[in-house]
Amino acid sequence: MNEKMTRKGFVALTGATSLAAFLAACGGSSSDSGSSAASSGDAQAEGIVSEEAAAGGSFDPASEPGGEIDVFTWSGYDDDPKAGAPWMWSQYVEGEYNAESPLKFTFLENDGQALAKVASGYSPDIIHPCIAYVVQWKEAGLIQPLDMALLPDYAGIPEAISAGGIVDGAQYMVPFDVGFSCLTYDADKINFDNSGGSESWEVLLDDRYKGRMALFSDDVAIIKIGHLINEGAVDPNVQTTEQIAAAKETALKVKANLRNYWDSQTDTVNDFVNGNLDATYTWPDGYWKIKNHPKMKDRNIKYMQPMQGRLAWVCGTVLSSATKQPGRATMAMAATNTAAAGASLLDIFQYASAQQEGVRELIKNSELIAAFELDKPEAWAPPNAWFEAPLPNYKEYITAGQEVKAA
Amino acid sequence: MCRLPSGAPGIRMATIVEAPIPPKQKRSRRERRNDGGSALSTYGLLAPMLILLSTLFLLPMYYIVLFSIALKRFSPTDALASLNGELNSLSAELWAKLLSVNVTVMLPGLNFNVPVLLVGIIFLVLLVAAVTASRIPEYGNWIVGIAFVLLLTPFMTLPAGNNLLRLVELTSDGDYLRLFFKSVSMAMTSSVIAVVIAIPVAYFLAFCVGKSKYTWLLIVIAPFLTSYLLRIFAWKVILGDQGLINSGLIAIGLVDEASPLSFLIYSQFTVIVVLTYAWVPFICLPIFLAFETIDRRLLEAAMDLGATRLQAFLKISLPIIAPGIVAAFLFVFIPSIGEYITPSLVGGTQGTMYGQSLASQFVGGAFNWQFGSVMALFLLGVVLLITFATARFLRAGGGGL
Repeated sequence: MNEKMTRKGFVALTGATSLAAFLAACGGSSSDSGSSAASSGDAQAEGIVSEEAAAGGSFDPASEPGGEIDVFTWSGYDDDPKAGAPWMWSQYVEGEYNAESPLKFTFLENDGQALAKVASGYSPDIIHPCIAYVVQWKEAGLIQPLDMALLPDYAGIPEAISAGGIVDGAQYMVPFDVGFSCLTYDADKINFDNSGGSESWEVLLDDRYKGRMALFSDDVAIIKIGHLINEGAVDPNVQTTEQIAAAKETALKVKANLRNYWDSQTDTVNDFVNGNLDATYTWPDGYWKIKNHPKMKDRNIKYMQPMQGRLAWVCGTVLSSATKQPGRATMAMAATNTAAAGASLLDIFQYASAQQEGVRELIKNSELIAAFELDKPEAWAPPNAWFEAPLPNYKEYITAGQEVKAA
Repeated sequence: MCRLPSGAPGIRMATIVEAPIPPKQKRSRRERRNDGGSALSTYGLLAPMLILLSTLFLLPMYYIVLFSIALKRFSPTDALASLNGELNSLSAELWAKLLSVNVTVMLPGLNFNVPVLLVGIIFLVLLVAAVTASRIPEYGNWIVGIAFVLLLTPFMTLPAGNNLLRLVELTSDGDYLRLFFKSVSMAMTSSVIAVVIAIPVAYFLAFCVGKSKYTWLLIVIAPFLTSYLLRIFAWKVILGDQGLINSGLIAIGLVDEASPLSFLIYSQFTVIVVLTYAWVPFICLPIFLAFETIDRRLLEAAMDLGATRLQAFLKISLPIIAPGIVAAFLFVFIPSIGEYITPSLVGGTQGTMYGQSLASQFVGGAFNWQFGSVMALFLLGVVLLITFATARFLRAGGGGL
């Protein structure tokens, strides 16, 4: 040990270490990089998904090895003590497998980022995307069909909501949270004279409110809104190439009146309550936060019900094709499908639940039921609301939306 | 008035008196071998950086090149690639999408279209002229100056309310190239303003505060002690419709409460202001160091000979600190041209920048890594060209400055 290292020795050691590190880094980076997505994805698609699972076969939770179940979800959907832990996962956490297979949470930023990350080699057990992307997850070979026997409450989800989670006849998603996407506005400042007094997406073209309105930066939503303005109450999920081009032109006109496209709802809520905006696109919780903000106490804040219909979204849990515990992971997904989880969703997040059976009775804040029209099924169906769905010509929507933002 | 402190005499003499060059001596094989070993050790010390460079830059660049010509794709399966509209074989289609467009040159009262290739050649010629023309006798410095003016003028703007005032504007019928020109303009404007603000600050630090200069330097860079995001959000509070500036203007009756100065937030103006603010403390350092290299006796001599303080600055200080100024400019310009966070938070629909569009190709749901790679390589190419030209410019003695 007390042997003195010569300079030559040091150089040789440094060189050898560097070479080893370089080779290791090359190996590591190639397996982590998106460029290797093909190989990792193929492996997941071809190797890990068993034929039985592809057919929606049965899983046996009891025979599965233990270990953490990694849930890749949105911030706030974790086992958060402040939200009344473990809320949406209660049934699983109190169940028999939690000790051997506890839940671990990782957070995603948006659907695109989540898919890119998993396609690049990250392997969670459960993922929480939105329904419009289920086809892409499935086509990438990253998710597998569910064992419906482990989802006893699934029947409580209306078919209109669950349909988007079925691809090629197999069920891939357990829809969990649903909600509207629409404009929250200050009724003392915004009026709808230009559309005959009826609430309308056309308000976005009204020059009187130029620079006082904002939209979500989602490329698809930008084009859907353009379509609703052009075509009226016509399904924005089914657009031809010509309709998308027309929607893009309208979206460009809308853009001229917007102050910004927001990336974070918190930012736009702050902008609204700080007087920078009079109307902004929000989800139900954003509307609720604005309406109940102390600075908005004397203001007439409304959530628009446009004559063309609101946009609506559905998100839910899917099962990774790489999971080693498909049965236990499915049982965790089943926990989100209970009436109790659905009721907590409204009380905590002001989102509605895909699960309909027995939820309303458990909701603590009954004011929310009226605010979000949970007692009016027609408010949640076309032509009053257009739920997002997988888009066969997704690329055209995205390209048009991107060009609107870049213009 | 700032006092000109005298520097360390030894250092000053070293700049004036050149050390005698020792005659070449024949060196033994052993000595040469020892020198070789020393060089090898030095390279060994560089190994971590080389590893980082190769793994975090060159290797990703290699893949980005493959993506840009469709030899790689994002989608792990054909079905998803088809859904996402990705190309499956070698193709220059995406490059064509970015570059097969016209560039419109907008002069006061005159607009004309030029193919993008021609614009690229013109810029390249101007860049070469700016870097090399100083060698031409008699008119060399004029050519350098004119080349610089022509290079910079299309991108120099003056933020004025909702508009950016400019003499010449480059735009395009291609969305992404137009966005690129806009981003260059915004980055160039904020870089120039930041340098103009930083020069007097650095001068103050170098010449006016004596022994406490490093305390002052710490104060100048104090904003760096807080989070960048926090500083941007602070600007939102200051520039908002009910923010500090508008509230103040409303309170003194200069602005009507119903129509506050809306351009202050979510505009190109905001992005330029925030970028400038963010970089000024940082670029004070290279300019300060450049001022520190000035031999004070030259300034004293100039003033003894009747030069005003301004003349001494323009004739002596400015040429000496020119490399520091150019370096400072690049420190701001290069990161700003691909900015993502600042325009996302305060840019609004008018202040969108190229970096945002680039990022959204990768993580925004477009799944278009192929086109994102084309955009990234194009940006990298421009930045490398500017960096290379600047290095040559500085090596050539600052173009005769």
